[in-house]
Amino acid sequence: MVGADDDPLDNTADVETPERIRFRYQVAGPVRRGLAYGLDMALRLIALFMAAALTTGVGDMRASQGLWLILLFVLDWGYGVLFESLWSGQTPGKRALGLRVVKDGGYPVGFIDALLRNLLRAADFLPLGYVLGLLSMASDRTAKRIGDRVAGTMVVIETAGGIEAPIALTPAATMSELAAFPHRPPVTAAELEALELFLRRPRLSPARAEELAQLVAPVFAARMGMRVREPVRFLALLHARAVGVRGRVTGSVAP
Amino acid sequence: MSDLQDAWVAERQGDWNELAALMGQYRSWHRLPPATIARAGSLYRSVSADLMHARSAGYTPELVAFLDGLAGRAHAGLYSAPPYRLGAIVDLLAREFPRTVRRHWRFVAIAAVLFAGPGLVGFVGSIRSQGFATQILPESTAAQMRESYSHDPSEGRTGNDNAFMAGFYVNNNIGIAFRCFATGILFGLGSMFFLVYNGLMIGAVAGFVQSAGYGRNLMTFIVGHGAFELTAIVISGAAGMVMGYALVETDGLTRFGSLRRRARDLAQLIMGVAVMLAIAACLEGFWSPSHVPRPVKLTVAALLWISVMAYLALAGRSGRDRSP
Repeated sequence: MVGADDDPLDNTADVETPERIRFRYQVAGPVRRGLAYGLDMALRLIALFMAAALTTGVGDMRASQGLWLILLFVLDWGYGVLFESLWSGQTPGKRALGLRVVKDGGYPVGFIDALLRNLLRAADFLPLGYVLGLLSMASDRTAKRIGDRVAGTMVVIETAGGIEAPIALTPAATMSELAAFPHRPPVTAAELEALELFLRRPRLSPARAEELAQLVAPVFAARMGMRVREPVRFLALLHARAVGVRGRVTGSVAP
Repeated sequence: MSDLQDAWVAERQGDWNELAALMGQYRSWHRLPPATIARAGSLYRSVSADLMHARSAGYTPELVAFLDGLAGRAHAGLYSAPPYRLGAIVDLLAREFPRTVRRHWRFVAIAAVLFAGPGLVGFVGSIRSQGFATQILPESTAAQMRESYSHDPSEGRTGNDNAFMAGFYVNNNIGIAFRCFATGILFGLGSMFFLVYNGLMIGAVAGFVQSAGYGRNLMTFIVGHGAFELTAIVISGAAGMVMGYALVETDGLTRFGSLRRRARDLAQLIMGVAVMLAIAACLEGFWSPSHVPRPVKLTVAALLWISVMAYLALAGRSGRDRSP
């Protein structure tokens, strides 16, 4: 279920399925949702202006004004309902910002959920400018506005994630280089994980990688009584040695 | 050189790609051939296991996020509720809406009193004293009302005027009903306010026009579409109060848990209200201001009132009751 009290203070919500599988969703905050709302608002205004421009001077003015008012109503109240139920929880604005409305259990939203959460906007808006909605979001782990509470939904950020390229050393590690390290390098599991994150880090400029490695490498080197020439390569070798020996990283290993 | 994560990824990636391809290919999984669904189910389970493994082995967040997303989407696809069918609208109007209204008849009764009571006060008050009406109604509204109903509203109206007014009523009245419903989340207070306020205003206008001597014109105009419009406003207020009351009487659930139990009823009520108000807007735009003689209008109005009441009281009584 969502949110236990001892959860870390980050914006994630864990959803557990009946098969005891846990998914982790990143919950969207007010700023990102506000931007999506602004984008949707702009699209709606553009549609209204275009409708007004296209129908001006065509047929009778009163009749086209009547049609325009119906369009205004549909866009005002139906925009979110239609898009969220047809696009499985997304409006164009939400899609642009990578947001999606899902049920608390991680299921896709249905028509009734979309209807309720969007009608309740009228309550979220009170007394003006979505003040109640913001208060409601601030007091909930999964940032629910009132409409979300009624419909049992939450807005999550879709993170695609990806599979990183394998760690590669260029030039490849030689046997003598590896042999310079102890058979079991004194590295804890947490340290090994940090090393792995460092080595896989995308978009880290070589200069910055060098800078970080210069801070860390001597700490490990001192433990093993070694000298560091190329800090980045040193860390990569250390990682390769540690992984190669220990095989699998489980639990913490004393240094 | 490769390490554990990379070796594991290389080994498992085939399954992930297959599942991702299946999900990209089909939008609604329930239309797939059984063999494919079975395959997707088994892939989903293995990806879920991979997710658990990746997390406990401390693989990189990027990879865990990827598996999280993949398994999450597959779960959503495999377990999603059936989509809301268009045929459900027919079912809603023929059976579910009147049934739900009757199930919550106490709230409908309270809402009717909250609407009609102030309406009566406004009406009687405005007839008795001019000052009462001008206290409640803005000066411009009062003048406009006197002007509109000093003659038969059908005079000088064109078909295009009617279309404009129909659009205006759709936007204005359904919007008011939706707000009346939504503000019920404040423990019903918002809905009560809207009911009392609208009742008072409508009553005051009617009394004001009556005392100006044009009551017959107004009555002929509103009595027809009023069957739908006034009833729908009352039901929207009742729906808002059902919502507010669910926050108070929780039956041991959390407040919002108790509310979610009512979600289906609320949606049915408000959808029915929207349809009723759309009908009312068409009547108000085209029928009420038409040149049809007064006796015909009054007869039709009586029939409309009888059919709306009969519909709410009787429709969906026989047959299978699908609601829980």
